[in-house]
Amino acid sequence: MSLRCAGDIDTRSLEEMFINLDPIQAGGRLTSEAMKAVIAYADGYSVCDNCQKPARLDAISKPPLATFHKDLAAFVEMDEARLMPGARRGFQAVASSFVNPGDPVLVTSYCHYTTFVAVEVAGGVVYEIAASPDHYSTPDMVAERIEEVIAKTKRTPALLFLEEVDYQYGNVHPVKEMAAVAHQYDIPVLYNGAYTVGIKEVSGADFGVDFVVGSGHKSMAAPAPSGFLATRAEYADVVFRTSKVHGDLTGRNFPVKEVELLGCTLMGNTSVGMMASFPHVKERVKHFDKEVARANKIIDALLSIEGMEVVSEYPRKHTLTRMNSEKCFDPIAKKHKKRGFFLISALRERHVTGIIPGSTKVWKMNSFGLTDRQADWVADAFLEIAEAEGLHVNR
Amino acid sequence: MSARAVDAVFQGLYLLTDVRMMIRKSVPDHVLTEDEKKTLAKTLDKVEKQIAVLREELLA
Repeated sequence: MSLRCAGDIDTRSLEEMFINLDPIQAGGRLTSEAMKAVIAYADGYSVCDNCQKPARLDAISKPPLATFHKDLAAFVEMDEARLMPGARRGFQAVASSFVNPGDPVLVTSYCHYTTFVAVEVAGGVVYEIAASPDHYSTPDMVAERIEEVIAKTKRTPALLFLEEVDYQYGNVHPVKEMAAVAHQYDIPVLYNGAYTVGIKEVSGADFGVDFVVGSGHKSMAAPAPSGFLATRAEYADVVFRTSKVHGDLTGRNFPVKEVELLGCTLMGNTSVGMMASFPHVKERVKHFDKEVARANKIIDALLSIEGMEVVSEYPRKHTLTRMNSEKCFDPIAKKHKKRGFFLISALRERHVTGIIPGSTKVWKMNSFGLTDRQADWVADAFLEIAEAEGLHVNR
Repeated sequence: MSARAVDAVFQGLYLLTDVRMMIRKSVPDHVLTEDEKKTLAKTLDKVEKQIAVLREELLA
């Protein structure tokens, strides 16, 4: 019987027992600093002990959330930032501020589903930008789609959502050039940094985007749900506008509360965990090249298995990678007693996990945060499995 | 009120968190280098000191 936290809740010891390649979990593993902060701030409204006027999260000085907000904006070279319960709430805040019902909104073919939903909530209409056959979004495709949408709807798109690194292929897209195209039409641009901010260096100013959204739990070693929305000063009063309404009976009003945030957002261990990891995160982005080198080392080893293909751009420029094993592992699955589950089962026997159970055709992995030794372990595990199943490996 | 006991609880948890992170860093076989073993031994000594404080403060 496994150790329980409480009742029927198992202790989660996956990160202590396995090398975890789950694409969405790699960048969100906590630092020791965040673990300690979470212990100390585990209670509900724990960061509110010293909340004074103005009663708002970004004004709290103990713990130093006010400073953290400024540091976050500076980190991505934008003017203002607010903590959000995940990147998705950043998308929603911007969509809600800039999209009116019926407005066309541009997204890429690789945008996250929450982008769709954020536009839907605002009443906008999603128009997707086509991708190239080799899985890139391009400035030409952005321009082409803008022209098509204007011709069709007689309206200029209200917003463009872009991602520098997409969640499907982990490819690096030319954000700066795409944003420049959108700005020729005065379309505000939101940079989705869910797979970049906290992983690699990001400059919203250099990209020339209007908003930067980051994910704490995906890429900034923070508990979920956490993230932030940063903006250029020009749009701060719009997206961080404060409440104007008054109660009709009591006359109450809440003029310091920012409506898109519904007042305060991360009032406990999420914000303090994100803040505790921040010094480490600021440092680790400077060493992204080492992470990429490690990813390439693993992928190179995987490609030594006959029939294995990398679907993402190669050599890799990011640690999230999409593989295709239809010509090697999938034929094994067809005759294996465990069917498609043989791969994850064999990986787990070697203390590696994070590949979607049952997948032997196309699957993703993310090696971010592994040590050199762990990267070698992962590579060896795959090669051992291939050889054990009779596949040829070009060692 | 024993601020010393409260500090000892947190310090003990923080030290054990450091141990947890060593386990994570050495996953999956948890083989430590000689330097890591020295660090771990020192950390465990410190945990024992915190437990001693708790015994002294709360059980005496």
